[in-house]
Amino acid sequence: MASTPAIFLATLVICCSLSSSHAEILFSSLKKSLEVTVKHRAGVLMAGEDTLEIDWFLNKTFPAGTDSAYKTIKLKLCYAPISQKDRAWRKTEDHLKKDKTCQFEVDSTPYKSSNNKFNWTIERDVPTGTFFVRAYILNGDGHEIGYGQNTDDKKVNNLFDIQAISGRHATLDICSVVFSAFAVVSLFGFFYMEKRNAKASK
Amino acid sequence: MENMDLESKSVHRDFVLPVDSEDKATKFRVYSVSAPHMRAFHLSWISFFACFVSTFAAPPLVPIIRDNLDLTATDIGNAGIAAVSGAVFGRIAMGIACDLFGSRLASSALILLTAPAVFLTSIANSAVSFLLVRFFTGFSLATFVSTQFWMSSMFSAKVVGTANGIAGGWGNLGGGATQLIMPLVFSLIHKIGATPFTAWRIAFFIPALFQALSAYAVFFFGQDMPDGDYAKLHKSGEKHKDNISDVLYHAVTNYRGWILALTYGYCFGVELTVDNIIAQYFFDRFNVNLHTAGIIAASFGLANLFSRPGGGTLSDIMAKRFGMRGRLWALWIMQTLGGLLCVLLGKVESLSGSIAVMLVFSVFCQAACGLTFGVVPFVSRRSLGIISGMTGGGGNIGAVLTQVIFFRGTRYSTETGITYMGIMIICCTLPIMFIYFPQWGGMFYGPSSKGLTEEDYYMKEWSLKEKENGFHQSSMKFAGNSTSERGKKVESAPTPIDGTPNT
Repeated sequence: MASTPAIFLATLVICCSLSSSHAEILFSSLKKSLEVTVKHRAGVLMAGEDTLEIDWFLNKTFPAGTDSAYKTIKLKLCYAPISQKDRAWRKTEDHLKKDKTCQFEVDSTPYKSSNNKFNWTIERDVPTGTFFVRAYILNGDGHEIGYGQNTDDKKVNNLFDIQAISGRHATLDICSVVFSAFAVVSLFGFFYMEKRNAKASK
Repeated sequence: MENMDLESKSVHRDFVLPVDSEDKATKFRVYSVSAPHMRAFHLSWISFFACFVSTFAAPPLVPIIRDNLDLTATDIGNAGIAAVSGAVFGRIAMGIACDLFGSRLASSALILLTAPAVFLTSIANSAVSFLLVRFFTGFSLATFVSTQFWMSSMFSAKVVGTANGIAGGWGNLGGGATQLIMPLVFSLIHKIGATPFTAWRIAFFIPALFQALSAYAVFFFGQDMPDGDYAKLHKSGEKHKDNISDVLYHAVTNYRGWILALTYGYCFGVELTVDNIIAQYFFDRFNVNLHTAGIIAASFGLANLFSRPGGGTLSDIMAKRFGMRGRLWALWIMQTLGGLLCVLLGKVESLSGSIAVMLVFSVFCQAACGLTFGVVPFVSRRSLGIISGMTGGGGNIGAVLTQVIFFRGTRYSTETGITYMGIMIICCTLPIMFIYFPQWGGMFYGPSSKGLTEEDYYMKEWSLKEKENGFHQSSMKFAGNSTSERGKKVESAPTPIDGTPNT
C-alpha cells in the first residue's frame, strides 16, 4: 500500500474528527421545578400488565412566572443506579444528548401547572430492573429547561421494580426441542446408512 | 502394489475439470458446480458460511437480548469469549477427525451436532443459558479446518492457495452477513406483530435451519476425494493411513507452527473479536439504530469477499519474485499496518471517520489471514492437517485472550479496548521475524550457507524405516514442487537426482 492514500485517509479522518459543537444542554443546569409522584401496586410490577399512575404539578415555592416558557412535558421511565451497574449502555451523563439514563418515553403532553395525571401500562419491551419516573419540561424550541422526578437527588427513595416478560412461548419451546432432536437423530440415521452401504459394497 | 494400481485405474473417471496424476483439479472455475471438485468447493464454503452466521447471530441482536435476559456487560463479554473458545480445541480435533474419517463425515457430523445449540438459543432465559448456547454454537467454527482440508484434497498445488483462500474468505463472510441478516429478520418478525423479546427468539430459527440444511447437503452431495470417499479408499489401499502420534509429534515440535498460531490469533482472532463487539460499539457510541449498526458491522465481515482471497493471492505473487522471504515480509507488513489502523479506530471520534477507518482496517486484517495460510502449507508436509488445526485454534485463542483482557465488563471503554487491541496486534506480529526456513531463509536472513534443500527439510519428518517402506513419497513430490519458494533471484538450484538424501 503506497503512502499517498494513507496521507489522504489521515487528512480525511482528522477533518471528520473535528466535530462541530451545537447547543449542549447539561442536566445539572436544569431547574427541578416539578413535583412528581408515582402510584403503583405493591411488590414487583409485571411488564405488559401493571400500570403506573403518574401525577405532577409545579412546585409552589418557585416564584410566579417561572413557567412562562414551559410548553411541553415529556414523561420518561429511567433506570435507577443499581440497574446501571456494569451496563455502560445505561450510563448517566450530564450532557443530555449523551445521557442514557431514561430510555423509555412514557408520554408527551402540553404543559399545565397542576391537575396532571397519566396512567401508563408498562410496555412489553421494558427490561427487568429498578426504575423511577422523570418529567422533562421543554420550551417552544423543544429544548429541556427543567425537570421533576419521583425520587430524590441521590435516586434512592420511591424506586420501583419491574419484571420483564420472558418472550418465550410454549410453541417456540416445543419447536426448538423437536428440531434439535431431529437434527441429532438424523445424524445417527446417516451413520447407520453409511455403515450399511459400506457393508453392502464389500 | 501393482494390483492396487489396476484397481485404482478401474475407478478412474472422466472429470469435467482438467486433473493431475492424483486426480486433483488443476484449474479452479468458480461458476462451475461440477462434481466432485467444484461441488466440494461450493458445499464447503456454504456450510462454513452457515456456521459463521450462527456463531455471530447473537451480537447484532445483543441490544435486545441484553434487556430480555437482564445481562450485564460482564455477562455479554463472557458469552462472546465462550463463543470463540470452543473452536480452539474443536479445530485441532477436526484436523484429526478429517485424517481418520474424511472431511465429508467429519464436517456434516459437527454441523448437525451444533445445530441444536442454535435452535435452543430461542429458549435461553438467563446469562448462564445464553453463555452455554453461544459456547456450543461456537464449536461449529471448527469447520474451517475441514474446509481447508477438503480443498487440499481436491485441488492441486498451483490452485490450492486460491481454493483455500476463497473458501476461507467466503465462509468468513458469514460473520458479516449475519450482522445484516439477523436485524432484518428481527424487524420483519417484529413488524408482523411479535413483541421484541419474542421476535429475536423466532429469528434464531433462520440460522439454525440454514445450518442443518447445509449439513444434509454436504452429506448427500459431497465426496471426500476425487476418486471416492475415505472408507472406500482405505479399503482398497489407495490411501496410506498415517500414524497419528507421529503426525502429532512432528506438528508439535515445529516452532514455526507455534509462531503462526500466535500471529493468526492477532489477525483472525481480532476479526472474530470485532465481529462480536462492533455492532454494539456503533449502537452505543454513536446512537445509530439497530439496523444501521448491523449494516456498519456487516461491512467489516463482508470485506472478506475479496480481502482474504486477496491476501492469499498477494502471498503467491510475492513468492514468485521473492520466494518464502517475500511471503513472510508481506505477512508482517500487512498485519502490522492492520494493527496501526486498529489503534486509530479506537481514537476516531466521529461516525463517518470510524466507518472509514474500520473498512480499511478490515482489508488489512483479513488479508493478513489469507497471507498466513500462504505460509502454513510449507511448514510441514506430513502434519499439514494438524499444523492447520493448530494455527486455526491459535486464531480462536487470540479471540478469547483479546476479549478477556479488553472487552469484558466495564474496565475499559470499548474505544480504549480497540486501541489497546491494536497495540497488542503490533507486538504479537513481531515473532514472524523469528520464522526461518533453512532452505529459503527468513525475514532478515537468507537461506543457510550449508546449502540445505527442500528435501532435507521435509525428509526430517520421516524415519529411516518409514523411508524404506516408501511412505515418504508424497512429501518428496511436494519438496520438489516447493523449490518455487526460492524466488526468482536464485536460478534453478541443483535438485538431487535420487530419492534418499545423503544425511
